[in-house]
Amino acid sequence: MKLSSLLLLPAALLGAAPSYAEHTSNWAVLVCTSRFWFNYRHLANVLSIYRTVKRLGIPDSQIILMLPDDMACNPRNAFPGTVYSNADRAVDLYGDNIEVDYRGYEVTVENFIRLLTDRVGEEMPRSKRLLTDDRSNILVYMTGHGGNEFLKFQDAEEIGAWDLADAFEQMWEKRRYHEILFMIDTCQANTMYSKLYSPNIIATGSSELDQSSYSHHADNDIGVAVIDRYTYYNLEFLESEVKDTSSKKTVGDLFDSYSYEKIHSHAGVRYDLFKGGAEEARRRLVTDFFGNVQNVEVDGGKGAETNSSFEEEMVKLSRTIAELHKRAEEQEAVERNVTTKTETRKQQQKKIQQQVAKPLTDDSWWTKKIVGATALAGCAALWGLGSYLEGAV
Amino acid sequence: MPRLLSSALALRRDPRILKIPPYLSLLCILVGAVWLFLLPLNEYSRRTYISENALLPGQVHTYFGGSDQNVFRAYKQEVNSLVGKSNVEINDKLESIVKGLGLKTARQNFTYNAAGRTYAGENLYAILQAPRGDATEAIVLVAAWENAKHEVNKNGIPLVLTLARYFKRWSLWSKDIIILLSPDSIAGPQAWVDAYHDAHDSSRVASLPIKSGALQGAIAIDYVQEHRFKSVHIVYDGVNGQLPNLDLINSVVNIAGGQMGMGVALQEMWNHNDKYPDRLRTMLRGMLKQGLGLASGPHSSFIPYHVDAVTLQPFGEGWQDEMAMGRVVEGTFRSLNNLLEHLHQSFFFYLLMHRERFVSIGTYLPSAMLVAANFTIMAIFLWMKSGQPEEVPAASTPESSDKDTAAPTAERNLLLPLAVVTLSGSLSAIPLYIFNHVPESALTPSFYFFLVINTLLPIAISIVSTQLFTPTLQQFHLIKSFSLLLLGMFLSSLATLNFSLAMLIGLLSAPLSFVKPYSSPVARIVGFIILNLTSPPAVLLASAAVWGLNVGDILREAAVAWHVTGTYSAVVVWCVWWPAWLAGCVCVLGKPIHQEGKVKKA
Repeated sequence: MKLSSLLLLPAALLGAAPSYAEHTSNWAVLVCTSRFWFNYRHLANVLSIYRTVKRLGIPDSQIILMLPDDMACNPRNAFPGTVYSNADRAVDLYGDNIEVDYRGYEVTVENFIRLLTDRVGEEMPRSKRLLTDDRSNILVYMTGHGGNEFLKFQDAEEIGAWDLADAFEQMWEKRRYHEILFMIDTCQANTMYSKLYSPNIIATGSSELDQSSYSHHADNDIGVAVIDRYTYYNLEFLESEVKDTSSKKTVGDLFDSYSYEKIHSHAGVRYDLFKGGAEEARRRLVTDFFGNVQNVEVDGGKGAETNSSFEEEMVKLSRTIAELHKRAEEQEAVERNVTTKTETRKQQQKKIQQQVAKPLTDDSWWTKKIVGATALAGCAALWGLGSYLEGAV
Repeated sequence: MPRLLSSALALRRDPRILKIPPYLSLLCILVGAVWLFLLPLNEYSRRTYISENALLPGQVHTYFGGSDQNVFRAYKQEVNSLVGKSNVEINDKLESIVKGLGLKTARQNFTYNAAGRTYAGENLYAILQAPRGDATEAIVLVAAWENAKHEVNKNGIPLVLTLARYFKRWSLWSKDIIILLSPDSIAGPQAWVDAYHDAHDSSRVASLPIKSGALQGAIAIDYVQEHRFKSVHIVYDGVNGQLPNLDLINSVVNIAGGQMGMGVALQEMWNHNDKYPDRLRTMLRGMLKQGLGLASGPHSSFIPYHVDAVTLQPFGEGWQDEMAMGRVVEGTFRSLNNLLEHLHQSFFFYLLMHRERFVSIGTYLPSAMLVAANFTIMAIFLWMKSGQPEEVPAASTPESSDKDTAAPTAERNLLLPLAVVTLSGSLSAIPLYIFNHVPESALTPSFYFFLVINTLLPIAISIVSTQLFTPTLQQFHLIKSFSLLLLGMFLSSLATLNFSLAMLIGLLSAPLSFVKPYSSPVARIVGFIILNLTSPPAVLLASAAVWGLNVGDILREAAVAWHVTGTYSAVVVWCVWWPAWLAGCVCVLGKPIHQEGKVKKA
């Protein structure tokens, strides 16, 4: 633990990796939050996005699929073992080769947030983890029943817009993504991304505050609505315009394809978190999020070399500092042990621990002192100014 | 503030304030009655809507038809050949048919005795196990051999058989489907539902040999009409005025009316123009049926067990055939099949006035509550009045309010009032027992005998009490106060259970609030006649005359309802309304002795 934080230190000193660099992996987190037969369409929504990202090359190992219910095996399903998102029933979304990572009551707010932030136990299999890094582009697609700034998870709980924003912020802090495309299809969906505050996120939703999202059509043999409008038209675009990973269609093109006439609600887009704003965000390719990229960054470039050597030096340096401090403390401790009684040993041990942790914060210690002193001086000056002005009046 | 308080206290002693309650209670009755008549207006009623997301009525294609038509004809042939045979013979044949479909069958015997008659028979039922379901829930399809009017269900039985055969071919059932073929419309289903929930008296009703899961809904088919029909009549009244969840009715309306393009009628309103008079009529008919609390079809027995059920009756001249009726049932069953839990989202307390318009309990309850409140107001008023000396001295010095001296109070003599009210209450067990236990042939004579006794009884009590106890005006006030207090209490609680019954009884006993011991003999006789015209037996007689029914038949039905379905309307009539009426009559006939010198300062 200590070692790893030490290792991180130089990286932090270096500052964030250049965000304009290309990503090297693509991940998708596809979440359906509702269960029950009459919510068939939500599962179909997610499964059709799942099919699309798989078609565009994201492997199952990089897709986290959360399905709270099993429509294929529901006794009410007139076509057992299948899920369709269109009344033509051309594509069985639940056919061969499907990997559901979180199913049934595993789909909870806690598990979702743990997944995003990777706060999972050691027993968690890799297939259920989002093993992204700062070069991963993530598509987060959610659907279910929502309201103003919340999305219901099954029937027991809901995730708030702030929860989501904080989870994304943690991801950013833990350098778990490069760029995120957040997409949500639910009632009042746009409120869900209104609280996001972390960089490099493009967000889009199906409907505004106080607007419902509607289903597209029902299959009268299955007896339920099979897909929502917003997802339907996203799929339409993806299937007609983004035929393979070589497609040059941009995210902007995708967003421009939305219209009230089609979706029956006002789909929203949020670019302001993105570096470079709308212009830059819109230039991103659809396949940057929906497809899999094969970009590999080779550690051979000039900049990279200097960087790495500098990095190594820094690591060495900090290790040496730590080592020296440790030694000094040990010496100190030994000296104290000689002079003090054994009763106080525990306290000393605590002290030692604190001192061991010191090297990490040592350099910012002075900065803090200065900042504190400046603040105090500022306050005093303000007070002086205030009392002077009072006197003058 | 203290001034306001003291003036309020002074107001309390103002004799004028005591004049208000009778007007207030009259106002309550009037507002309550007018309220009822406002309900059918657009401003007070609401359009129906489906609350339960899971139902999704009318969203499925129904495929019943085609070759099923031939199957239906064949079954009908078989059923026709059974007409006139005994219950056991019929069941033998039907059982062989159902067994042939591959369903588990079982039979159940039942015997009820009511009004000197024996209502016995044998239910036949079959369970279609959901091929992929978990057998924890079931929905019931009922067809009685005879409908409530004792006509043979010539199309209903073959339709249910055909549907059973058709349903067997589907694999999408999440709940088991139970086919219930009962010999009659009331006793058979009642025995079956009781036994299904292990709530039966096993000496009369046999236990069920096989069962399925919890019942989630039931549809009964009452299809006697031989020609093509136009619309479907939904019968939804349950025992004791309980109603099925409104979502079930809405689903059927949606499927039959919306998807199948049939008309839908309620409460025998065959033509409904959705204008005020028709709405009012539908609502009042519904209220009357609810108030009577009788079982109106095979579905009625299910409702007390919280199993939402309706009976569907095709009617009218049109172009819809048996297959269309079958598709309505198919669609409704597909909707019920979608349910994840019991119907609970929509209303259980409502008054329907059109197939798509209703008022819920929050809107209509105040009218019955106001009527019930009028009795309570009068009871409190009379209690206060009984506590004041009879003759308030005209020149009593106006007491200043800040001196906290009590007004003169009279000592209340409670023995006689309590005795009279207890007596009238306990006497009520006699008519309740008689009318539920004498044989059918003795019902009419005993009714007329009771009518005479009923007229003479108040006179007798009045004479005896006057002779023995020389009651004072105060005691008459107390008699009335206690009986009205009980009446108001019972009716207001009843209003939450069976609104219509509480409303009916409340309005019929409204005169009781306003009669009092009259000093003039003419007024006394007029008062007594008015009360006799609104007495329970007189109302029974009048309603029999209005609907052209035989009093004996009405009483027999009531006795059957009491013994078979457990209808409690008789208890309300005899043990709530009648004692209050009796006490009222005693008051009217009373010749109070004016007392003096009983004034005392408290």
